[in-house]
Amino acid sequence: MPDTAQVKIDPDTNTLVRTGVESICNPYDVVAVAAAVQLVGKHGGKVTVISMGPSQAEAALRECLAQGAQEAVLLSDRSFAGADTLATSYVLSQAIRKIAANEPVDLIICGKQAIDGDTAQTGPGIAARLGYDHFTYVSQIFEVKPDEKTIIVIREVEGGRVTVTGYLPALLTAELDLAVPRYASLPEFIRSLRQGIKTWQAADIGVEPERAGLKGSPTWVKEIFTPPVRKGGPVFDFSRDGEKAVDEFVDQFVVHEAGRIAAILSVKA
Amino acid sequence: MKEEFDVAIVGAGPAGVSAACILAEAGLKVIVLERGDFPGSKNMSGGVLYGHDLAQILPDYMERGCPVERNIIESRIWYLSREGGYSLGYRDDIFSDERKYNAFTVGRAKFDRWFAAQAQKKGALIVPSTVVTGLLRDGNSAVTGVVTDREDGDVKAKVTLLADGINSKLAASTGFRSEPAPDQVALAVKEVIEIPADLIEKRFNVSNGDGVTIEIIGQVTAGMDGIAVIYTNKRSLSLSIGANLQDFVHSRIKPYELIEDFKKHPMVAPLIAGGRALEYISHWLAEGGYHAIPRLYGDGYLIAGDSAMLFNSLHREGNNLAMASGRMAAQTIIEAFRRRDFSKNCLAQYGDKLSNSYVMNDLKKYRRFNGFLYWHKELFGTLPELASFAAREMLTVDGLPKKFKQRMIMKELRRRTSVWKLFKLVWQGWRSVK
Amino acid sequence: MPKNLKGREVAEIMQDKCIACQICIGVCPVGAISMEGNTVKINPEACIGCGKCRDVCPVSAVLFKRPSKKKLTFPQQKPAPLEDYKGVAVFIETHNGAAADVSWELAGKARELADKLGVRVSGYLAGAGVEPLAQQAISYGCDDVYMIDNPAFGSYIPRVYSTALVQLCRQSKPEILLIGASPLGRDLAPCVATLLETGLTADCTGLDVDLQERLLLMTRPTFGGNIMATIFCKSHRPQMSTVRPRLFKAPRPDPTHKGEIHKIDFSYPQDRLPHILEFTATALEAGAADITRSPVLVTIGKGACRAEHVPMFQELADMLGGTIACSRPVVEAGLMSYARQVGQTGKTVTPKIYIGIGVSGSMQHMAGIQGAETIVAINSDPAAPIVQAADYSLIGDYREIVPALISRLKNKVANLAGSKP
Repeated sequence: MPDTAQVKIDPDTNTLVRTGVESICNPYDVVAVAAAVQLVGKHGGKVTVISMGPSQAEAALRECLAQGAQEAVLLSDRSFAGADTLATSYVLSQAIRKIAANEPVDLIICGKQAIDGDTAQTGPGIAARLGYDHFTYVSQIFEVKPDEKTIIVIREVEGGRVTVTGYLPALLTAELDLAVPRYASLPEFIRSLRQGIKTWQAADIGVEPERAGLKGSPTWVKEIFTPPVRKGGPVFDFSRDGEKAVDEFVDQFVVHEAGRIAAILSVKA
Repeated sequence: MKEEFDVAIVGAGPAGVSAACILAEAGLKVIVLERGDFPGSKNMSGGVLYGHDLAQILPDYMERGCPVERNIIESRIWYLSREGGYSLGYRDDIFSDERKYNAFTVGRAKFDRWFAAQAQKKGALIVPSTVVTGLLRDGNSAVTGVVTDREDGDVKAKVTLLADGINSKLAASTGFRSEPAPDQVALAVKEVIEIPADLIEKRFNVSNGDGVTIEIIGQVTAGMDGIAVIYTNKRSLSLSIGANLQDFVHSRIKPYELIEDFKKHPMVAPLIAGGRALEYISHWLAEGGYHAIPRLYGDGYLIAGDSAMLFNSLHREGNNLAMASGRMAAQTIIEAFRRRDFSKNCLAQYGDKLSNSYVMNDLKKYRRFNGFLYWHKELFGTLPELASFAAREMLTVDGLPKKFKQRMIMKELRRRTSVWKLFKLVWQGWRSVK
Repeated sequence: MPKNLKGREVAEIMQDKCIACQICIGVCPVGAISMEGNTVKINPEACIGCGKCRDVCPVSAVLFKRPSKKKLTFPQQKPAPLEDYKGVAVFIETHNGAAADVSWELAGKARELADKLGVRVSGYLAGAGVEPLAQQAISYGCDDVYMIDNPAFGSYIPRVYSTALVQLCRQSKPEILLIGASPLGRDLAPCVATLLETGLTADCTGLDVDLQERLLLMTRPTFGGNIMATIFCKSHRPQMSTVRPRLFKAPRPDPTHKGEIHKIDFSYPQDRLPHILEFTATALEAGAADITRSPVLVTIGKGACRAEHVPMFQELADMLGGTIACSRPVVEAGLMSYARQVGQTGKTVTPKIYIGIGVSGSMQHMAGIQGAETIVAINSDPAAPIVQAADYSLIGDYREIVPALISRLKNKVANLAGSKP
């Protein structure tokens, strides 16, 4: 996921140019991995991290391995490029199906949202495709019973939090509170460095190219523009003019905003 | 940590990685611990590398895809006054063919990563995001490994190579090297300005990915003992300017202001016109030099690169000396393994190798140069002005006879300094680099 | 239609019409078009059949027809042709029998869009004990209300809600579906979009229609708010969009508006469904008021994040009839609760007067206060981004400015209050 400060747009496809831009692991995803590692530490099992992206995403996957994940899979294929969330959830769910074919998948944990795009849709989309129940805005995993295949989580909702119980396999999207990312021990970190990262392409996971990437994305970007900037108004320099600045400000403010202030006060009264 | 290594190297910069390449090639089990998230993330210098030094470590560096910015075919020196300056350059076609890659610019982030990847290919383990906080010692105070900031993070190794750079807290805290005195420290700022490749080639009159380096002294450092450089990269220019920290303290000039004025200089501005500032870094560096070199070896350890102060202050980059010292350290270590002796007696070879090489020879030769510059601030103030005045007058055609102009110049000279002083300056300058 | 060796239908240039302006060359995402001598040629083997060249050609010299997409949805359902989709639908979100405000805000917007398109507005109402809301929905502009009133919908279970909504969409085929970007909506919308294999644009800050193409144009910030993008969903229906609460203003309800209520029978197997064990409301701090409803916000930023000064800020807020809010770093420092956080990851606010103290004005924060009528910035840094956008800026130490401001304003405001008839 590219560092926001160095964004470049490809004018031809109106999509993000990703080559050469430093990829960093999305903080929500780091938390998701940490939560998964803690669960596996408690109940046994294996954590596999998956990422769809160009080869630079490897660095992010290594960061996840360093957190203690056992395996990492990179989904990289030219046909995946330019995907919106529909195409992304398609590719990711195909990869998960492939993993599930060999070993049972009980839980999928995603970060709440990505910083690029900010859409927070991929998690629920993957769950819908796989037919799993999903829980969003999870701030705590209260209990997991692997034998009974049940899970109890706490979700942050409007006005409070709700404790929900459900059945595995399920998908969670993580709030930042869900877990504290660990600084792996040296032997663990070294193991993760020596670990190979599997790379899967479209053919490996049975992805039809028309449903992936730009082609599989029903939404197209019509144009990109910089948001209209509010123009700044008068500046009163207190550090230079002291109280006089406040006086001038108050005079202007009261004159121009009299209507608003009076309206507020009359409402209050 | 249970796993043990033959050699632990602190720092994945040019010195550390050079050693790692050679040691891994020789079949030794090497671990390199780097505090940054990736090799090069903590390195600041712009970079001119000499092919000769790199070839000593990786003879096939071009085939391995070394990320070269531009091959340098022309070197210029500028002596600038406020509005003008002298320029002396040497360009030679030999640097585009026969002696291609004699010198070339690199981007540190790209180069360091590529370089570290080569060491990995040879079998060295590079561990990023891990800080070495101390050294392991045995009962006899010999170094037996390093302590890191990760859990279970002690790494045992038969030999430890400290190559953790110029601001090495480790070296300072372990007594191998003292904190540099304030007048041994320089403060520099660097800016990378994006300019399209064809524009660079037009402005510097090069083609085919060739490049130019410009080293500048004069009034650009506002009377402070310092230097500025301009390097050409593929699609950008690296501008760097710095001066002695004491001078900054006395003059109260802010580094940011210094580089802004530098960019506005009439000889600099046209080169960077229309460019977009990509990054801005400010950093301090120990001035180094022969006198500042610490104890370079002891029981179980060696120090290489900037950490060993093996560089010639602002006036000469440390990359190449770092690589050379890393190489020599590696050779010393290989010999130590052959003899199974890791005491300072055996590791002393390192000191010998360095002394006999150009590394020490150059450092020794230039050891008085720093002092010369520091104590002759007129080089950065009155002299460039005087030199400019002289040139201006001589070049202006206004009907005055040359003899008259000469007298005018001499008058100005005597007003500001004296012929005797100038002679002394030249004499001392020559002696300082003899 | 010409095909390349891979069997893909590719674009071709009609040389007699082409004027060699080369715009198509610039727009081709795979570089399949080039100039050869004086003619512009498309390399059929490189062409991916996206049709952008045809879209931009000023003289319609590109021969290309987009092949109909193979629809391989799961569960396998052949979607109806695009023309069959008509109408603007709004999901009416309910909690404990009451409708969320955003539903009415969207109903108003839906009415506006539908009027432009000349179609009807449908409300999709699902909940337990929500029958009374159906009439309310009509008064807010719905021409049809599809209602599922069923205990299974008492609490939000994604699977249940999404299956119901998908069924409604397949039945009534809206061309546009709007859902509020509340926590529930942001959870529900992607499920529905994925099951319908259609495009969803989340967190939109603007909606409009392109009447010529009959497309919904959705605007949203992206890449952390640094850039705005206008997005459209050309070939999939319904075009889905989630919209942030309080972006649009709810219309005045019109009790005379007529509409039809359709009761939908919907059942869902109850076994192995997730269910809620308990709900704990977060306790509001004493005196906390909903910052989204306050006309004046005194907002504390990182630069003023000191507990000992909060009473002073409260005094300023009280004097102007407002509430204290804060930026994200202040919540992260633990000084204020998340309920008071303004910004992209907090609440979007539209106060009449916003006073930011020690707020630098990051993109994310500014995104949350775009709708503020008047912005006053108090900051020690004249180069802070907020100063560039503030209607008034006071530069200096807030510890000195705010007390001075309070005393000055006390007089003036008292005068104003006195002068009000």
